[in-house]
Amino acid sequence: MLEIRRLSLRHPAPLHDISFACAAGEVTVILGPNGAGKSTLLHAIGGYYPAAAGEILLAGEPLAGIDAARLASCRALIEQHPARPAGMRVADLLHIGVAQADPAMLAQALDLCGCQTLLARDCASLSGGELQRVHLARALHQLLTSKAAQRYLLLDEPTAALDIGAANQQLATLRQLAQRCQLGMIAVLHDVNLALRHADKVLLLKDGRQVAYGDTAQVMTQRRLEQVYDICLTELGDGHGQRAFIAS
Amino acid sequence: MSARTLLILLASLTGLAFFISLLAGEHAAARLAALFALPGHDALERELLLALRLPRVVSAAAAGALLATAGLAIQARFHNDLAEPGLIGISGGAALAAALALAARWPTLAVSIAAFGGALAALLLVSHLARDRATATLILAGVAVNALCGSLLTLLISTLPDGALRSVTFWLMGSFAGSDGRQAWLLALLAIAVTVALQRQGRFLQALQLGDRAAFYSGFNVGRNGAVTIALAALAAGVVVSQCGMVGFVGLMAPHILRRLTGLHLPTLLKLAPLAGALLTLLADLAARELLYPAELPVGVITSLAGAPFFLYLLTRKRPSHA
Repeated sequence: MLEIRRLSLRHPAPLHDISFACAAGEVTVILGPNGAGKSTLLHAIGGYYPAAAGEILLAGEPLAGIDAARLASCRALIEQHPARPAGMRVADLLHIGVAQADPAMLAQALDLCGCQTLLARDCASLSGGELQRVHLARALHQLLTSKAAQRYLLLDEPTAALDIGAANQQLATLRQLAQRCQLGMIAVLHDVNLALRHADKVLLLKDGRQVAYGDTAQVMTQRRLEQVYDICLTELGDGHGQRAFIAS
Repeated sequence: MSARTLLILLASLTGLAFFISLLAGEHAAARLAALFALPGHDALERELLLALRLPRVVSAAAAGALLATAGLAIQARFHNDLAEPGLIGISGGAALAAALALAARWPTLAVSIAAFGGALAALLLVSHLARDRATATLILAGVAVNALCGSLLTLLISTLPDGALRSVTFWLMGSFAGSDGRQAWLLALLAIAVTVALQRQGRFLQALQLGDRAAFYSGFNVGRNGAVTIALAALAAGVVVSQCGMVGFVGLMAPHILRRLTGLHLPTLLKLAPLAGALLTLLADLAARELLYPAELPVGVITSLAGAPFFLYLLTRKRPSHA
């Protein structure tokens, strides 16, 4: 279990008293308007920004006391704008952060992300979607080769470069991955409907403060979302339990 | 080209250049006989070869290896293709500190240590000034530090007597002419030590190409590994300046040519860079000796004549940074 207990941050954006948890095989989505502190929170969970107050526990152990090498075996993070290093082959990028390369695990990661045909390409030549898939495969290679008992994948807007169909497909794949590899997954998203469809748990943030946290259906009510995003919404349903919100 | 092919090719070319450099000039045949102590060789020729030519060639090769490795490491650390010890003020800082130590008549080792200190101080100053990570800021900060060190150096030189002035000026323009056995050993051992130590940073520097934050998420202590990288680069550049003067652009040209040939893979580049740098300086030193024979040019003039147009070409390309 990855537990965030009363976490507060001062820099680079203030966060106040955030508490939630993510278990293996579970997808938690962080939602909120621009400037709410979503990415800052994700990087704090990744261990990059130190907490001003509160703590983050990884399998019961304070994250602040774990060194960078051991942290990398327990969690991987894909940034909102992953790097596109010109001149670097995809095959070389896939080994970054991997202490002990394992061809079987690499093949599995490539298979899961559909990157087998990209190995010989220069990273500079990849499209936005291909680059996202390659970085996802790299992060999976990093986690799958580790011996850690609990592993977490943190994603900062993983669908930002994708069209509506690809975004939906990407999140469905991530959800399958979380369950198949028993990875805990925390993703920052902008699209409330993608969160509604794919998240197990949702954390709503506004102005650096936690508005709500819990099961997706319970947290994502029309009233609460209108309050967080300062907008009037209309809720749609297909009669089979699928819901969606549109701005009215 | 595969890394293995390039390694074999570079090692062969560097070996060949070393051998030619050792023998080139008048009396090459006599030198060849002296080198292998063939029957009837000239004993004086052998003594001159071992005492003068060999240290010079070893110094040239080692200095090139150090400069290329330092250039590659700095470029990787700052995500900046144009970062080079001479361009971003490291050599200027080292030269000023070394000149001060020389003026104070410090021994050779102390001069090298002072140059390391000067190089490190200049590097820390430039990296602080260019903390926004922009290519232009790094180069401009380097220009400013170079200008400052250059004027202080001129001020220092203007106080020197005529004899010392000529030798310091020649030293500043870069030369391997005065190399002795001790200097050659110092540079050769340092080249091996820095190459081995930087190899250990290869995986870190490769991860750093994704950015500082991504390197942290990949399991590296960016502050500690970055400091080790910078200290090793400053040590390499500083000691070369203290022993051989300003041999510019080798740290820019060698990594660039290699990246073009093998792609961006730091563990491989760190293996190849010492060989490429050694090859460049061996060829430059050969040209410095032979172009205007019997007169001799400072080797820094040759490397700058080749390197400055190369730098301008890189500057005018559309993509100034590889990160």
